[in-house]
Amino acid sequence: MTAPLESDIDIWDDDILVDPYPTYAALREQAAVVHLPKNDLYVLTRYDVIRDALGDPETFSSTSIGFNPMVNEALQGTSLASDPPIHTQLRATLSQNLTPRALRGLKVIIDQKADKLVAELAASGSFEAIDSLARAFPIEIVADLIGFQGHVKDNMLRWGQAAMQVIGPLNQRAQESFPIAGELYGWCSSVTAEDLAPGSIGRGIFDAETRGDIPQGSAGHIIHQYLGAGVDTTIASIGNIIALFGHHPEQFELVRENPDLVPAAFAEVLRYWAPVHIWGRKATRDVEIDGATIPAGAQVGILFGAGNRDPRHYGNPDAFDVKRNPVDHLSFGYGPHGCAGQGLAKLEAHAIIEALARRVKSLTISDEVREPSNITRSFELLQVEKVVAA
Amino acid sequence: MRIELDRPRCEGHGLCEEAAPTLMHLDDDGELVIDVPEVDGADLDAAKAAVRVCPVAALRLAAA
Repeated sequence: MTAPLESDIDIWDDDILVDPYPTYAALREQAAVVHLPKNDLYVLTRYDVIRDALGDPETFSSTSIGFNPMVNEALQGTSLASDPPIHTQLRATLSQNLTPRALRGLKVIIDQKADKLVAELAASGSFEAIDSLARAFPIEIVADLIGFQGHVKDNMLRWGQAAMQVIGPLNQRAQESFPIAGELYGWCSSVTAEDLAPGSIGRGIFDAETRGDIPQGSAGHIIHQYLGAGVDTTIASIGNIIALFGHHPEQFELVRENPDLVPAAFAEVLRYWAPVHIWGRKATRDVEIDGATIPAGAQVGILFGAGNRDPRHYGNPDAFDVKRNPVDHLSFGYGPHGCAGQGLAKLEAHAIIEALARRVKSLTISDEVREPSNITRSFELLQVEKVVAA
Repeated sequence: MRIELDRPRCEGHGLCEEAAPTLMHLDDDGELVIDVPEVDGADLDAAKAAVRVCPVAALRLAAA
């Protein structure tokens, strides 16, 4: 058995979290799997190895998707943290409201809301894109969809952010977030159908529980996962859309000239800046990768952003190119645990990009701030200094 | 080669239909229908592309 090469970096170092791509390039060139003793972690760095691992749940178990034992314990019994065959039933219950066929009826309303919001911002001359667009839009869509009302809607942002932070190692960010994630957990443990708006998907999940279509007590878990997974990630991607169009006006111009590029542009945004930068698995046996062995029981970290920039898979990977259409990017994961909400994420993001292409002639960014975060990578502030309406 | 669908795993994302519209389609209920299960030649390339883009790994190619 040959041990994998080591690196002495801390993958959750503040500077690396804010700007991880140089580190990803170095790790990727070092090896397909690199041992990080400081994090007690084996990271996967290359496209093919990541995709193979995501497609092999027998070898790479989801019982350790988080990087501390408390969060993995708390997630037991969810689709997220289970393996086939139990996973198959839990996943079906989780995803039946999120499949493209289930969401088809929502497209018109989502497109209308995106157009209205973007038209107002385009007419305003300048705006801060994170609060007024990247957060405002998905929070409204997800709140309407699941039927969140009142104080729950007001808490969606901090609950959603905390639910992601606690998946990281037990650093200060995770420790500060556990009480907030606990508020979400507590609310989801006691939520009833009456707490959710009539006609919402949330109500429908409770109806399914009452009918016996899904196990008793699972409705709260499902709502927990919708909120935990569907907020912070979508916020990150919408902020990234604005920032990348601001940084690459010629690429935005291509989308304006040809709106057929909208799906390809979003795939490229996701490839270029992965909203989720790391996710866990546990090796169930000794696994040999390129001649090096990950020992059975080891914690594995999947670096989606490193795989998405692997020159072995994508030509000129550090270029942002809306014509590339990288439909096989890794940012939604892949395989049995592939993002269950990707249909909704695409509906939201495509609606925003279409509205931008229609309503905005150009935008200039003057200031942008990233805060280090354990699992997601997003902007905290993104000032559009000048927007010219189309 | 033969296109095989893991029906319970398919969630109707539809990327396969975009990659291989002559071989498969989503019906009005959003259920995937494999129109041409046995493939060779140019169809085989399209089938490989469809298998590759399925985000939940519900498609595979097996020896006919």
